[in-house]
Amino acid sequence: MAWNEPGGGNQHDPWSGGGRRGGGNGGGGNRGGNQGPPDLDEALKKFQDKLNNMLGGRGGKGGGRGGKGGGGRPRNTFALPGLLLIIALGIWGAMGFYLVDQAERGVVLRFGEYQTVVGPGLHWNPPLIDDVRMVNVTRVRSLTQTQSMLTRDENIVEVEISAQYQVNDPRDFVLNVRNPQLSIENALDSALRHVVGGTDMIEILTSGREILGSSVASRLQTYLDSYGTGIRLQTINIESTSAPAPVIDAFDDVIRAREDRQRTINEGMAYANAIIPAAQGQAQRLVEQGQGYRESVVAEAQGQVNRFNALLAQYRNAPEIMRERLYLDAMADVFARTPKVLVDVREDAPLMYLPLDQRPGGAGGEGSGEADRGEDGELDPRVLERLRSASSSQGGSNTGGIRREGR
Amino acid sequence: MVNNRSLIIVGGLAAVAWLASNSLYVVDETERAVKLRFGEVIEENIQPGLHFKVPITQTVRKFDTRVLTLDTDTSRYLTLEQKAVIVDSYVKWQVVNPTRYYEATAGDETMAIRLIQPRVDESLRNEFGRLDLQQIIAERRDDLMIRPTQELDSLMREELGVSILDVRVKRIDLPDDVSTAVFDRMRSEREREAREWRAQGQEESERIRANADRRRQVLLAQATERAETLRGEGDAEAAAIFSEAYGQNPEFFTFWRSLNAYRASFDGERDMLVLDPTSDFFRYLRSPEVQNGE
Repeated sequence: MAWNEPGGGNQHDPWSGGGRRGGGNGGGGNRGGNQGPPDLDEALKKFQDKLNNMLGGRGGKGGGRGGKGGGGRPRNTFALPGLLLIIALGIWGAMGFYLVDQAERGVVLRFGEYQTVVGPGLHWNPPLIDDVRMVNVTRVRSLTQTQSMLTRDENIVEVEISAQYQVNDPRDFVLNVRNPQLSIENALDSALRHVVGGTDMIEILTSGREILGSSVASRLQTYLDSYGTGIRLQTINIESTSAPAPVIDAFDDVIRAREDRQRTINEGMAYANAIIPAAQGQAQRLVEQGQGYRESVVAEAQGQVNRFNALLAQYRNAPEIMRERLYLDAMADVFARTPKVLVDVREDAPLMYLPLDQRPGGAGGEGSGEADRGEDGELDPRVLERLRSASSSQGGSNTGGIRREGR
Repeated sequence: MVNNRSLIIVGGLAAVAWLASNSLYVVDETERAVKLRFGEVIEENIQPGLHFKVPITQTVRKFDTRVLTLDTDTSRYLTLEQKAVIVDSYVKWQVVNPTRYYEATAGDETMAIRLIQPRVDESLRNEFGRLDLQQIIAERRDDLMIRPTQELDSLMREELGVSILDVRVKRIDLPDDVSTAVFDRMRSEREREAREWRAQGQEESERIRANADRRRQVLLAQATERAETLRGEGDAEAAAIFSEAYGQNPEFFTFWRSLNAYRASFDGERDMLVLDPTSDFFRYLRSPEVQNGE
């Protein structure tokens, strides 16, 4: 049924010339186009009858009207064109059947004039007279465009948009507009740029995409309706909006900067989160130490006092002995643990030499070091020598830090 | 005889066919037609359907009356403030008066487009010259197209028998060199923004750190305060305990405490005592005789 395809155009149809002639044969008077196939058939029959009569009249000389019934020769004369006509009619009739798919509608034109839109199913229309153009009305067609365009704040953005649409009026789609596809492309382009031109860049790139889509959709539908395209938009999707290629790096850097900002803040927070608990712990430690000191001092004091009290009882019995004994005990204890130098100061008071470097952090340690000291902290003779000379130059000032035992 | 009759039939049919093909014509739903007799229009605006004409003397011209699209070339227009813009537009047009259309263009669509395009161009150029760039891009984009559409529609109906349904601007772009400047500006704006974000991050981070440092300092100071207070309390309590003991026998207590203190003082390995052998402690070091202390 290639000759029924939409857009084929009756005038391009190889059969159409024949169709016109056929129409002429059938009934030259059918100008109104309202007469259906039965009329045509009837007219053809009449025409055939007339033809038969005319030919029969001529063929059957002397036979008059009854010639039709007589003689083999006249019968043959009518039979050939008659048969041909019947066969031709049969073929013509059979060619009139066509299927309309569920997804399609057929726009029926009779002699070019719009008749009706037929739905899915099996149909018959007189071929060569009627022209049926099929349109798919359920298929969702789509169109995608990527464009760079100016925004309200005179920046340039790139927008990728896709439109999905269906044919909702097959008659308009087929008959009203030449190239509906081009129409929607142009209209989409215009509508999109219009809406983008009324919006600030930052809005297009971020929050405004949804609104952008819906305003483009309503604008586009208005345009399409005003052209009578028979197209209904399903959805408009703003697939992507981005900065144009020459500045995309700068835009990406902004995104990175935003991430950097968050990262820096997080680092700050991490620092805070790390040191505050540590400080809390440290503070607690300080308090605990204070508490510990307090308790230990009190306990020690109490202990000492208890011990003292115990001793005191004994002391009251024999004070002198107790005193002496305690004193000697304590001194023994102290001397046992401490290096000692015995100096008889009364006789040769003017000079006194001391191994000062043995004291930790001792003031008289110039030039001294670990090597100067013997294994057990005993004084090396060389050190003593050096000390002697050092001490003589400095006088007795070095003795200031030395504890002196005496009573 | 048979051949003759058949020939006559076939010839008759052929004649009828020829007649039919020359006297009948179909106007499609997408078309309108005019009928001419020796070039003179005798029937206007013929509607779709099957029609009859006298062969040879009469001819029929058919025109596509669908909505057509004229995609104009891009043009460079100047705005009110003399900025150049590159504009791409399209025009939707339709033949509404076939006779007028035939007279003006001889039915040639290319010719019609050649006639329409400069008018559209001029009309848009005038509109662009009336508005500044901001108005063109954003504020008055619709207005920009309404007037050319209306003006051209009435003009073209009269002149060409054509209706201008819509003049619509698609692209309004800046020339390439200006675009480059725009890109530079956009880039610098972004750089500024990026720097601002990063600086904000630094600021916020520094704030958080400083705050944390302060809190730590305060926490430690408060803890020190508390600790010192506790120590003081401890010392006070210890003192109180000692003084109680002291009250019992001051003389012995002082003695005993001193001894303890000596022990504690000379605890280190590094302490060194320089002693006078004449001190009381060493009295037996000199002689074992019994002496009286003090």
